[in-house]
Amino acid sequence: MSDGPSPRVVGESRSVNGAFGLLAWVVGLAYFFPVFWMVLNSFKSELDANASPKLFFHPTLDRYRDVTKSTTGLLSFGEAFTNSAVVVLVSTLIVLTLAIPAAYALAIRPVAKWRDVLFFFISTKFLPVVASVLPIWILAKNLNLLNTRMALIILYTGINLPLAVWMLRSFFREIPRELIEAAEIDGAGLKGQLTSIILPMAAPGIAATALLCVIFAWNEFFYAVQLNPVQGSTVPIWVTTNISTRGDFLAKLSAASVLACIPVVLAGWIAQKRMIRGLAMGAIK
Amino acid sequence: MEAATADTKIAPTRAPRKRRTAEEDERRLARFMISPSLILIAIVAAYPIGYAVWLSFHEYSVRVPGLSRGAGFRNYTNALNDSAFQSAILNTFIFTAASVFFELILGVAMALIMHNATRGKGVLRTIVLVPWAILTVVTAITWQTIFEPQLGFVNTALRGLGLPGGNIVWLGDKPYAMIVLVIADVWKTAPFMALLVLAGMQVIPNDVYDAAKVDGANAWQRFTKITLPLLKPAILVALIFRTLDALRIFDLPFVLTKGTNGTNTLSFEAYQQLRENRLIGLGSAMSILTFLIVMIVSFAYIRFVGGNIRGLADEGGR
Repeated sequence: MSDGPSPRVVGESRSVNGAFGLLAWVVGLAYFFPVFWMVLNSFKSELDANASPKLFFHPTLDRYRDVTKSTTGLLSFGEAFTNSAVVVLVSTLIVLTLAIPAAYALAIRPVAKWRDVLFFFISTKFLPVVASVLPIWILAKNLNLLNTRMALIILYTGINLPLAVWMLRSFFREIPRELIEAAEIDGAGLKGQLTSIILPMAAPGIAATALLCVIFAWNEFFYAVQLNPVQGSTVPIWVTTNISTRGDFLAKLSAASVLACIPVVLAGWIAQKRMIRGLAMGAIK
Repeated sequence: MEAATADTKIAPTRAPRKRRTAEEDERRLARFMISPSLILIAIVAAYPIGYAVWLSFHEYSVRVPGLSRGAGFRNYTNALNDSAFQSAILNTFIFTAASVFFELILGVAMALIMHNATRGKGVLRTIVLVPWAILTVVTAITWQTIFEPQLGFVNTALRGLGLPGGNIVWLGDKPYAMIVLVIADVWKTAPFMALLVLAGMQVIPNDVYDAAKVDGANAWQRFTKITLPLLKPAILVALIFRTLDALRIFDLPFVLTKGTNGTNTLSFEAYQQLRENRLIGLGSAMSILTFLIVMIVSFAYIRFVGGNIRGLADEGGR
């Protein structure tokens, strides 16, 4: 594992560290158990999945075959993944493009009434989602955006923007002011300050923010099912098409969820590498 | 450049106004950097809110679609006198307090473990995210099967180990349904908290720890005296966003319990009226009341706790 220089406190006695590491693994595995259970179910027959829990069964890939071949619904596996990938990536990019300058202005540049501005940002999160679906549906219909990826891209950008601005602002504030001032004295413009100091130093924060946006957008269900029930719909909708009111569906649903999780796990893997501090602050000072 | 302090109320006392125009330019630039985001938020947030307010002051014919008349505050008084809505207020606050509290503890613990783990750090950090990556509907169904009274894993294990509680009908009994709801939510969203806290840990400089080491501080002292205060900004951001989402929780109770056995929440009640009962006026009034409750909580939060967000960052401005 390329962990980089460990930021951990050095010189702690070795046994304490060992015990801590072991504890970490035990907690992690216990926490992971329901996921493990879901993965197991995805390799079972429906009969085994819905019977009393047992560890030994005849594993099968049939559920994966079932869910990936498009049958009942109009939404196919490939379509859903393409739609989700486009919507998630584009919306996350827009969020970062909008949120980085905004957070920078709120954290470092003087903005009058910054508190009101921050409050305004989270006002998107006051209304129950069910109440905002109808007006947004009408708006999307009038703009001919129903069943398009564009509708979800705009919506997910709006949903993720508040958190991104708040988070990035808190990370930008952690950057020592002297570093920015030093760069200013050296004649670095806004662009120079951003690329040479702010972005590298806040890289772990930016990676975490991007990851949060990706996961939120990847999993969003309510708006997607209302605005894009058929065309341009996303992975969560595809996953739930495996839920049926007749007969058992747990194994199939598990297989679909496992597939739906894989891209998120990949994103997490990429992001966590960036989250090991890029430029340690101590190293600069 | 003392004037770079974000709070303009402080700025004039600190900075002699020698270069007024430069400061004006800065201000204009800052406004320019923020406005695109503000405009987008206004479209996505303000329009639905205004629309819901309008709906909440009208009542609608169930038979003739689109037929409506003004209702004054009738929808609001009806909502406030509705016993289901009253219990939803209480349940929502119980749920929010319990789940956010346990998420915070678990999230910080997870972040510490991930930060300090010596082996398999990358795997650990990725694995921990998985519960959060699973669709809520699927999470809810998974928990349903785990807590199923006859064949579920929990009761099977409890009975097998001869422990009490093996016959509890988890989702069908009053205190237990809420407990399962909280467990499911904590399990799902603790990674969100952990991720935010972990990212916050990355910006704590090493030399702070080294200095404390020299001073002979032990691990616990270093955690409470250094890590925690420096993490406060990140934790506060995580807390408020979790609180906002928990106060509006809908999908978990919808799938897990259908709002029965003391698990109906504000959003769930609004959904019931808007969608199931087709009482648009009443449902919108409930939504706006929820909106107000969430707004008051956030406002109080920013007033009383949020002040620290800035205060801390300024004092800590090494």
